[in-house]
Amino acid sequence: MESGKTASPKSMPKDAQMMAQILKDMGITEYEPRVINQMLEFAFRYVTTILDDAKIYSSHAKKATVDADDVRLAIQCRADQSFTSPPPRDFLLDIARQRNQTPLPLIKPYSGPRLPPDRYCLTAPNYRLKSLQKK
Amino acid sequence: MAALAEEQTEVAVKLEPEGPPTLLPPQAGDGAGEGSGGTTNNGPNGGGGNVAASSSTGGDGGTPKPTVAVSAAAPAGAAPVPAAAPDAGAPHDRQTLLAVLQFLRQSKLREAEEALRREAGLLEEAVAGSGAPGEVDSAGAEVTSALLSRVTASAPGPAAPDPPGTGASGATVVSGSASGPAAPGKVGSVAVEDQPDVSAVLSAYNQQGDPTMYEEYYSGLKHFIECSLDCHRAELSQLFYPLFVHMYLELVYNQHENEAKSFFEKFHGDQECYYQDDLRVLSSLTKKEHMKGNETMLDFRTSKFVLRISRDSYQLLKRHLQEKQNNQIWNIVQEHLYIDIFDGMPRSKQQIDAMVGSLAGEAKREANKSKVFFGLLKEPEIEVPLDDEDEEGENEEGKPKKKKPKKDSIGSKSKKQDPNAPPQNRIPLPELKDSDKLDKIMNMKETTKRVRLGPDCLPSICFYTFLNAYQGLTAVDVTDDSSLIAGGFADSTVRVWSVTPKKLRSVKQASEDGTVRLWSLQTFTCLVGYKGHNYPVWDTQFSPYGYYFVSGGHDRVARLWATDHYQPLRIFAGHLADVNCTRFHPNSNYVATGSADRTVRLWDVLNGNCVRIFTGHKGPIHSLTFSPNGRFLATGATDGRVLLWDIGHGLMVGELKGHTDTVCSLRFSRDGEILASGSMDNTVRLWDAIKAFEDLETDDFTTATGHINLPENSQELLLGTYMTKSTPVVHLHFTRRNLVLAAGAYSPQ
Repeated sequence: MESGKTASPKSMPKDAQMMAQILKDMGITEYEPRVINQMLEFAFRYVTTILDDAKIYSSHAKKATVDADDVRLAIQCRADQSFTSPPPRDFLLDIARQRNQTPLPLIKPYSGPRLPPDRYCLTAPNYRLKSLQKK
Repeated sequence: MAALAEEQTEVAVKLEPEGPPTLLPPQAGDGAGEGSGGTTNNGPNGGGGNVAASSSTGGDGGTPKPTVAVSAAAPAGAAPVPAAAPDAGAPHDRQTLLAVLQFLRQSKLREAEEALRREAGLLEEAVAGSGAPGEVDSAGAEVTSALLSRVTASAPGPAAPDPPGTGASGATVVSGSASGPAAPGKVGSVAVEDQPDVSAVLSAYNQQGDPTMYEEYYSGLKHFIECSLDCHRAELSQLFYPLFVHMYLELVYNQHENEAKSFFEKFHGDQECYYQDDLRVLSSLTKKEHMKGNETMLDFRTSKFVLRISRDSYQLLKRHLQEKQNNQIWNIVQEHLYIDIFDGMPRSKQQIDAMVGSLAGEAKREANKSKVFFGLLKEPEIEVPLDDEDEEGENEEGKPKKKKPKKDSIGSKSKKQDPNAPPQNRIPLPELKDSDKLDKIMNMKETTKRVRLGPDCLPSICFYTFLNAYQGLTAVDVTDDSSLIAGGFADSTVRVWSVTPKKLRSVKQASEDGTVRLWSLQTFTCLVGYKGHNYPVWDTQFSPYGYYFVSGGHDRVARLWATDHYQPLRIFAGHLADVNCTRFHPNSNYVATGSADRTVRLWDVLNGNCVRIFTGHKGPIHSLTFSPNGRFLATGATDGRVLLWDIGHGLMVGELKGHTDTVCSLRFSRDGEILASGSMDNTVRLWDAIKAFEDLETDDFTTATGHINLPENSQELLLGTYMTKSTPVVHLHFTRRNLVLAAGAYSPQ
């Protein structure tokens, strides 16, 4: 399941060859053959979404053609939406400092299974009983 | 901006006649506040006015913060106390201030520049005035040129981080207000003198030096290092990697794509082999936008890479860099590198290679100096006191020998506190419930039947292979009493198998959707989903005493939770990349986290501080385990090595080479005699732990300088290698009787 591509390089379409090359450049040597297909699908979907957005932005700005700025803006907006990255380090250090200042809470003795308040648990019944109407 | 400047000019002139009498310490703060905001010339009750003042000058970069600091100090009243608060904030902000001034000057924004200078001048006087009230009266209405010359003299003063306690700066108090319009002209000349400092600050935001010259700077440095003495060369070669990465990132950040590419091409081959993965990631970052999404690279850029260099080598380097005309490399060194200097022999290449490899360089010596309570907690007394004493016996012998050996008798051990153990109530721990007590009794009974392991008595290994998992097995865990095995799968299910017919308990599950779920094995339902990580959670573990659990994930933090709080109790932030594994210390007071940034950190549960940083692995860390006596930590990573660390001293004490692929599971035997390691190369290896920790040289020299000399004894320590049939070993577990259970998913090639 690890090695090789099923199609020989010559018979693969050009963009599949390019994907294989990208994988090779990034140092990935073992991958399932379906990975290339998945990457192609992703690339197609991503690029069409970006270009659609870019067309909308450029028509909003009343431009005749779509130019690099529109595409850049489209990329930026999509990145904030779909590819969020974890918070930056100083933010994390800040909230960590705040959180770590409060002392650890004492533990109540003899409290059975220790769970958060019911509101935050998934233990509530997810059904409701309906009474039978007997005529 | 123009209107505001005029307003301030008027106010400044108005202050003049009242200058000397009102510039007493508490009111000096007010003077600054009023001057900067053009508010009413009230007395010391201008607290609210000062705050308003700072908001009106919000456009001027660094001023709001020091202004607010000063205004907060003003109502405080006492002379030295307000001096302290602005002083602490001021020198640092002054540099930023001067940088902003420089920038405004370059952009020809005259009025803004004057307004900012006015306030900057007043800020200096406020801090100085509170420190030297006496000189104010004597300065009075002196010769303007003398005052101005003092202004020029004192201005480089604030640029250096010394507090302005000099008498000369006292004179600036009056001069700033006396020579309103003339001051900008003179301060302008001062700004020129500050240029080296300003450029140092600006370099944080902008690139300095010619992009095309970067290659030359780097080659120059390379040539110098290669021509230096052998003993220094190894140490100075540590500079290559961080300098290379930072220079490359500077070029990319400032959008010099072509220069960045050629720089990379030319020099990436020179770096050490263990950095190749990083370099590959770097090679894909060619534009500034690429950097934005990559948090690890951004963190790398803003955090300081730590290098440990001996004093002699450092002097050599400093001399060389400072005598060259272009100090670009020196600036980068100052900006992005932290050089931890130690006195002593320069280290050899071998010693250095053992310790480097992480994304943040090495650990500073101070980082590993705080006291860590690595002893075990006393077991609460339940019947069978015999076993209690056994465990405490281990504590006694385990203490480091720095102090005089204690001569207490064995009999009184149950009352005596191990100085290396944390106080029992340091962190709140749950009491034992009856069911727990029964478990403990069972535990102790089994312990008596425990097989004593050693090089001549190896444990039997029972391997559980998960068939038909199709690479979907992500995690396995075995209960402490070895009755259940739980397997987590990529299709979001958790399956539990029982090994023997026994009672069921609760279990936790970490997942990629970012929640940690608590399941009850009595009802087979999910009880709680703990939300906090918004990104995949890679590892969780319950504390040895229950109630607390820790989780670590892609957002580079580890969180400590308690089962009855829906939010985390502690957040352990500091890693530069994902936290791959999290483990509790046996005394439940510390948490160890291993990360993809190739460091292992030990955190204190009580206050969330990082008390130890261990560097030395050359790949992301995938497994961690504490020794049962709490003194040592073993870690395994993708580089196939298992490293052993002494927690008390914060040093590496052993290296076990042998595996050829990622070490993904590690476990000590119940008494700490054997370390079992399981790896992706389909083997389980057993190592002699007692021998590995046996002859530890803990003389002062080693601990002071952190030099380590690891014996090459991996072969002697290896007790056995057990191959599986192409099944990577995902989990290892020692039963209470020292039988090894191992688990993995069969993955046919």
